[in-house]
This record gives sequence, C-alpha cells and structure tokens, in this order.
Amino acid sequence: MGRFEFISGPNFSGRSAALRETMQRNAAGDGTFYIGPYAEAALSGLTSTVRDEVLLYRNVAAERPVFPLPVGDEALLRDPQSLSGGEQVLLALHCFSQSAYRHIAIDTALEQLDPGNRRGAFDYVALAAESVTLIDNRDPPDGWTVLPQEPFTKPAFAIDWPKLAELIEPHAASGLSISGLNFKYRNGKSIFENARVTLEPGRAYRVSGVNGAGKTTLFKLLVGALVPGCATMTLGNETYRPWRDGNRALSLATQNPDQQWCGATLAEDIARRCKALTAHPHVERIDAQRVQALAAALGAASLDTHLYELPLAARKRLSWTWPFAGVHPWVMLDEPTVGQDRATRENLAQYMTLMCARGYGVMFVTHDDEFAAQLPHRVLTVADRALRLT
Amino acid sequence: MTPNGAAVFAIVTLAAAVAANLRGLGTLCFIVAAFAATEVRGPALTALRRSILIMLPLAAFMLAVWVGIVGRSPAEIAARVDGSRLSAFAYAATVSLRLFIIIFVVQAALMCFHNESPFTAIRALTLPLPVKRLVVLTLSLIATLRHAVDRSHTALVSSGVITRRLSLRNVMHGWVLIQSVWLTAITTVLGRVRDKWPAENTLVLLEPALRPIVRPPGTADVIWGAAALTGLAFVIFERVSGAA
Amino acid sequence: MFSTPRLITIALCAALNFAIGAIVYLVKLPIYLDSIGTILCALLLFPDRWASFICAMVAGLTSVAIIGLLVNPFYPWFAFTSVCIAAVSAFITSSGAHIFRARPAQPGSFAIRVILYGVITGVIAAIVSAPVVAYLFGGVTGSGSAFIVAMFLRSGQQLMNAVLLSGLAADPVDKVIQVLIAALLYRSTPADFIALVRGSGMPARA
Repeated sequence: MGRFEFISGPNFSGRSAALRETMQRNAAGDGTFYIGPYAEAALSGLTSTVRDEVLLYRNVAAERPVFPLPVGDEALLRDPQSLSGGEQVLLALHCFSQSAYRHIAIDTALEQLDPGNRRGAFDYVALAAESVTLIDNRDPPDGWTVLPQEPFTKPAFAIDWPKLAELIEPHAASGLSISGLNFKYRNGKSIFENARVTLEPGRAYRVSGVNGAGKTTLFKLLVGALVPGCATMTLGNETYRPWRDGNRALSLATQNPDQQWCGATLAEDIARRCKALTAHPHVERIDAQRVQALAAALGAASLDTHLYELPLAARKRLSWTWPFAGVHPWVMLDEPTVGQDRATRENLAQYMTLMCARGYGVMFVTHDDEFAAQLPHRVLTVADRALRLT
Repeated sequence: MTPNGAAVFAIVTLAAAVAANLRGLGTLCFIVAAFAATEVRGPALTALRRSILIMLPLAAFMLAVWVGIVGRSPAEIAARVDGSRLSAFAYAATVSLRLFIIIFVVQAALMCFHNESPFTAIRALTLPLPVKRLVVLTLSLIATLRHAVDRSHTALVSSGVITRRLSLRNVMHGWVLIQSVWLTAITTVLGRVRDKWPAENTLVLLEPALRPIVRPPGTADVIWGAAALTGLAFVIFERVSGAA
Repeated sequence: MFSTPRLITIALCAALNFAIGAIVYLVKLPIYLDSIGTILCALLLFPDRWASFICAMVAGLTSVAIIGLLVNPFYPWFAFTSVCIAAVSAFITSSGAHIFRARPAQPGSFAIRVILYGVITGVIAAIVSAPVVAYLFGGVTGSGSAFIVAMFLRSGQQLMNAVLLSGLAADPVDKVIQVLIAALLYRSTPADFIALVRGSGMPARA
C-alpha cells in the first residue's frame, strides 16, 4: 500500500520546506521524481525535444502502467518548453511512468491541469507510485494523509485586500471591439479568419481555448506585439491600432511572473513603466506613489528588494501591481491563481469583481473552475479561427 | 553514414576549401555535390536553398565592393599596379565560391541527420561525456531563453518600454529585454539546481543516455572520408605546384 | 574546475550568446552582440581569474560551435577571437566587477571602466579577427564596415591593413556596448546565483 501525503496550509507556511525534507529522506535511496511549481519545473532542463525528454528518464526495467503522452507522434521532435504548462506536467508524469523512480513529489503543479486531467493524474500517481507527497491549493483527494502546516501569526508577503480595494481608481473603461480580424503566422498557420467580438467594460471574460487555438496570439494582437493581416479595432469610439500606436488598452499579468518585469527590482520596474507612459498622451498620468502603495498592499516589504530573490508565490502577487494600478481600461491575468492558496483565490475573485464594478474590463485565463465560479463572467472562446462569446 | 563519418568528411573538406585556389575549389564542388546527391539526397535541396539564401546577398555585396568600388584585386593592390575590374571579379568570385562550399558542406552534413533528435545525434558522436553534457544543457537553455524572449517581448511591448518597430526607445531600452530574459533564465536554473536535480539526481541520467552506441565506420564513411582526403591532397598539390 | 554550478553558468552564458541574436532581431537593432555571454561569464566567476578565463572561453567556444551549426556557418572561423575576448574579460574586464555591482552606483567609475575595457577588448578582437576577415572573406563580412575597408583599399592600402584599420574603427564601439550590457546584467544578477557559481555554497531559499 503506497504512502500518499498531502501537505496543506496557506502560502509561506513552510509547505515547500516540508516537501524538501521528504525528498531529502529519499535521497539516500532511489531519489524522488519532482514536479515543481515554476515554469519549466516539470522538465529536466537537459533536453530540447519531447522524444529526448522521455529517453532521458526511460528505464527499460520499469514495470508500471504508462501514463499517456500528452502529444501525438508528430510532436515528438517539438521543444518540450513550447508545450503549455499543463502539457509539460502531463509529459513529466509520462516520464515518471517510464522511469525507475518509486517516489514522486509535486509542488502545486497539478493546478495547471483541467479537471479531467487533474483527476487522471491523481488516479495514476496513487496507482503507480510507492509514495506521493503533494502540495496543492485545492481540496486533497480522498484517503490521503493530510499534513497541515500551521500558518504564521504574521505571515510573510500578506496581502492587504481592504487597502487594495481602497486604491482602485474608478475608470470609465471603453468597450473593445474587434471585427474582420485576420491573422496568419509566417509558417502559414492561420489563427483568425474574419473573427469578430465586442467586449463591454465593467465585465469579466474568461478566455478559453485549447492549446494552440490562439489565446496568446489574441493578447499579442491587442497589445501590439503582433500585426494582424487586417483588422478593425476600436476602443470606445476611437480606432485602436496598437501595432502602430502602442498599447493603451490592456495591462498584462503573465502566467510566469518573471517574464513581465521591466527591472531587477520593483522600484525599477514601476519607474520604467511610468516613464514609458509619457509616450501616450491619451493615457492618464499615473501617480507613482499610488503604485508603490499598491505594491506594498500586495506584500512588497521594500520596493528595492531584488524581485528574483523573492519566493515565486510572492512574485506572482507582485505581478498584479501594474494591472491593478488601473493605467489601462482593460486588465488581463493569465492563470493568476496557480500557486495561490484558497484565501488568496477567493479574495482575488472578489477584487476582480470589484474592478468590474468600478468600470474596468477584465479578461482572465484559468483552469481553476472553482475560482472562475466565484467571479461573474462570460466566456470568450477562441476556437476554429473565430471568437465566440457565451 | 555515421555522424562521426559525416563530421570527418565535413572537417576535411572545410580544411581543403580554406586552402584551395580556384581549380581546387572546382574539384571540391564536384566532391561535395556527389556527396549531397548520394548521401543526403532529398534534403540536399533544403541545404542548397539555405546555402544560397545565406550566400547570395553576401556574394552580391562582395562584388559590389570589389568590382564596383575597389576595381582591382588584392594581388594587384600589393603589386601597386592599376589592375582591372575583371581580376577583382575573379577574386570576389573565388572568395564567394569558397564561402559557399563551406556553408553547403556543413548544411549537407547536418541534413544527414535531420530526422534524429539532438540526443541521438550527439550520442553517436565520439566526444568526451563532459562535452556532450555541456552541449545538451546549452541546447536546452537556448530553448528556455528563446521562449523567455518571446514572452518578455510581448510584456515589454505591452508596457510601452520597447516598441515593435525600430525606434530610439528600443536603442535606449532594448537591453531591458536582455535583462528580463537573463533573470528569467537564472530563476529557472536556480530552481532546478535547488530542487529538481538534487531530488532526482537528474544529471546522472545523462550518462547512459549519452553513452555512445559504437557504430563502426561503414562503407559510406570510408568512401567519403577518402574522397575528402583526395580533395585535400589535390588542393595541396595545386598550391605547391602553383607556388613552384 | 567544472562543478555543476560552473557547468550551468557556462551553458547559460553560451545560450545567452546565441539568444541575443533573437533579441536584436526583435528590437530591430542593426548590430549583432555576440559576446555578451562570454564577458558575463568572466565577471560571474571573478575573482578566480583562471577559472574565469577557462569557463568564459568554453562558453564562447560552445556558442560559436552551436551558432555555426544552426545559424551562421561563418562563426566558427572566429573561434580564436572568442578565446581572446574571454582572456581580456577574465584578466582585465573582471577587475571592474566590484564597481559594476557597487551600491549605490558609481556612474563615473562605471562609465570609465566600461569604455576602457570595451576599447581594449575591441582592439584585441580587431587584431585577432583581421586575418580571418581578410583571407576568408576578402574583407567583406556583410556589415557596413566593408565600405570602410573599400575606402582604405581604394587609397592603396593592402587588404590586411585595410581590414585591420576598419576593425580598429568599428570593433571598439561594438565591444564597449557589449561590455556595458554585460556589466548591467552582472549588476542585476541575484546575489544567490553569484554565491552559487563562486562556490559559496547553496544559498538558502528566500
């Protein structure tokens, strides 16, 4: 009978340290297969194709059922880092199933999976591993031993949600309208053909679509990082051409928070963003002190702390600073709840609802149905080269 | 053909190309074309297209400089004679042909293994394990950085710190993109070094994965190795008899 | 010499040399910055200068080989230039490491050292690259410096001299930019990572 341990507790309560202790105990033996919380943490970091990643871990003597590979044979020569976060986790589970490891440790990585894959992952590790140690911010599976980590009386990086709510500046956001959108990558893959949608301010939209459908492409078009073949976009009554005139519609919080910083410290990051706004007379000047107050409310003890020396969960929270600053009328959060505890997720849903009430438009991508259910929203589906609202 | 055989062919031919005069280059062209036609086959067209795409602009530029601007060859300049645009053209053509052979040999040799993954190709090479380990790690980190570049570029364009097109802003702030990518990569690597690699002892897995599967030289390796050496010998002979 | 942290640093810096090309393309800059990783590697391993040199050299040669195979087949011919840049970075440029990371910043000292080290690196790179550019490329590598070479050739300078003079005009500027960026990256590198690379032990997680 295997040993299945679920380490519960809020962020910064020592869960990852407890997980590492378990891994250290196994280090003298066969070691532990590890799937971590950060980007690319599911992968070995030693290969550049899916085939090689599997080859690295494959042990011909392994005698357990094989977890299915998340991609078809045609994708075996693909770079594993080009897979979505969820696909990377599934690839890691496949590699585990082919390996000789008897123990597996997972640090919040399963939160990136949709409900079906998540259930499948739990079922598989319970069947195939001698021991599983799991950190997850959702409910533990039935029958697992729960190891609660007690929260500190004064938690690190605590978010002051009431203060954050005070700092929301009402914004009469303009509607965002897209019509006649055509976009094709250089390799010929068509992403959008005559796509159209109108997004109303004061509402939240959950952007959904399978991997490769065009969610990321849509955001890149909206912020001007890509040029459409043709498109008519308006922000309110004004023509909006971000690929020519720059972004003035959308503030972005990326899934991996480290890919959006404009500096090594929060002070540098905020200063550069504020300075960049001088190029846009349309955008209201932002009060740097207010942004600093936002960062402090999100848990930043000092703006001069090196961002990359903070824990991932703290960096994730601080990555919301610029979207919450209200510089742009629309806000996009990509998988904001990965690695965040239940209390944070609930508060975040309430905060985003409040932003909508204060006039902002909100878009978000998430696999967390529980979180989405707490935030009144419509679903914007990206599929079949079109955009559909339900 | 084995990767080692392809590497030997490429290296010897490259050495010959560097030393060759025009007649030597002509001979090498024949050897390389035969290699491409018999060993590489279909993918040789891809190698040829890539080589032309790389070389054509450079050759045009070279002709423009030497024939259009300078108007005489380096030998004529050294001899302090007026020279002619024809000799400048011959010189530029020789250099262009040499460079084209260099590009094409490498592309054609790589195309022999275009269906193999980096692991299997690197594994087959006779190289020390630390070198192989370094190469696979570097290739993986290149992929990490490339993805970070794409994501960070989107984020920095969206924040207005850089622009999509060439601009003074990019000249002043383009390095912020480099910084963002560098710091993202360090964070990823630190995480692996702290957690995943010690827990799994992942680096040890590389040893069996990269241990060479010894493939003795086949007929193709011997034939093309000999052809390359013949080419090199001819080039040296041409040089020596020319000097004499 | 090649502990795991150093191996990672070498691979990271080699990968950075490779990836910089993608960045320069995206921001549409008309320059190619191909040795920032080599210089940065030397700074990260300071004050052990021999380790600094060897690791920077390996990083440079690795990137030259991979770029040569995958992107630009002319790169490997400048391998010796890469070795020389590693040597200058380890034995000269890295002397400025403490200034580059000083807090608060010392802009004057920072700028003087960047310019001085960049010029030295550029001069040496130009001298070492000249024979390759002259013989293999006929003085024309596809960059704007070819026109400077042409100008010297028309004036009667021999090919090697023309290439050398052109390189001495262009390379120091290019290398000053590269030393500047490497210094800024070194300045922003987390202390955790530097401690790991220099063998001060695995730092505690924040």
